[in-house]
Amino acid sequence: MILDRLAREVEALIFASDEPLSISQLCEYTGSGEDSIHQALDRINRAFRDQHHALGIIEVAGGFRIATESEFGDVVSQLFEGKKPGKLSRAALETLAVVAYSQPCTRMSVESIRGVNCDSAIRTLLEREMIRISGRMETPGRPLLYSTTSAFLEYFGLSNLDHLPRYEEIEELLSLSSSEMEERDLFERPEDN
Amino acid sequence: MRDTSSHDSFSFRGPSCRIELDSFEGPLDLLLYLIRRDEIDIYDIPVAHVADQYCRYIRRARELDIDVASEYLVMAATLTRMKSRALLPRRRDGEDEPDPGAELRRQLILYRTFREIAEELQRSEETWSDIYSSPGERERWSVDSTQVEPGQASLLDLLKALASLSEEEATVLPQRIQRTLLTISECIDALERKIPPGSPVSFGTVLGPEATATRIVSYFVTVLELVRRGWILFQQPYPFSEIQLQRTERWSVDP
Repeated sequence: MILDRLAREVEALIFASDEPLSISQLCEYTGSGEDSIHQALDRINRAFRDQHHALGIIEVAGGFRIATESEFGDVVSQLFEGKKPGKLSRAALETLAVVAYSQPCTRMSVESIRGVNCDSAIRTLLEREMIRISGRMETPGRPLLYSTTSAFLEYFGLSNLDHLPRYEEIEELLSLSSSEMEERDLFERPEDN
Repeated sequence: MRDTSSHDSFSFRGPSCRIELDSFEGPLDLLLYLIRRDEIDIYDIPVAHVADQYCRYIRRARELDIDVASEYLVMAATLTRMKSRALLPRRRDGEDEPDPGAELRRQLILYRTFREIAEELQRSEETWSDIYSSPGERERWSVDSTQVEPGQASLLDLLKALASLSEEEATVLPQRIQRTLLTISECIDALERKIPPGSPVSFGTVLGPEATATRIVSYFVTVLELVRRGWILFQQPYPFSEIQLQRTERWSVDP
């Protein structure tokens, strides 16, 4: 398959960019409409697949970038041995989950959901730049507010926050008080195996 | 799904009992484990039973000298209170008294939901850690490359910078400190010109406009020496006021 001019322009832009390129940036730089960009992206990925390349264009953190196929993870990881940080702990993942759905939120609100002290988990997440301090709550003590970063989206391969798993269900769950939760038979009772 | 095999090997009886409080992410996690183990419906929790199980677990942990975090103890107290309420007959007029189980249910359901999300995130992490794409991401792995735009630095950035400073080996460049030597006899010569016979002169005038620390100290010591010799009079009306110096006749007399 021979790629047309537009597809090759898109490919060049995405390859050369440090950050994920958004659809509007791609439109601007190529002078094309969104539909043509999407079709161009499809053509590039098809070309990659047809020729068994180890690369593909993925959508992440609100933009597009070229990435290696996951089956080459082992071989590529050798390049970054000792540099790549380890996997996040369960405490960190739980804390991150709470922050992601209720951001901006305070340490207190994370702790009230998890039922444990989250100091060190929050510190780890700040160091890993998964979350950032996004302000202070105007209540007594002015506690710090935390939000997730675009590094968080990239790390988990999310194109934006709406793509978090079960986003709407959990947004609603968070807004309910305990009595409202009782009244509204929101949840089918899943088998707790 | 989380690995429960280690929990299942747990037993309250016998010396082989393994308590792995560390493997729980707090009291809610432990409670969810107990609820699941005893096949309890989360929407219909038998408070007395769960409270007993939970307290037994905690007591056992403390017997084994395991440091139990305070959060676990708070939950034990909450459960015990709920249990005692459940045992007491309900007051007729206590209609508006909130169901003590409702808040616990809410907490458990919320926590369980986020635990599931954390598991999903973990799966994404697994998948995405094998995909290499972003130069930005890779730059973050190396410590020094973080570029901060004006106004974007956080307190954490500053603390990190401070920490990296103290980690850096303190390489002290060899330095030669110039010492300007002013001997007392040199100063006496200088002061002879500056304190002419006749009316008193202030110490400030003697020092001149741009006096260095060395000169101030040297001149002051010299002034004291001159006073000792009786060559000048030294007057200060009140503390910290200007010092007045006046030459006496002895200056020219003594060799």
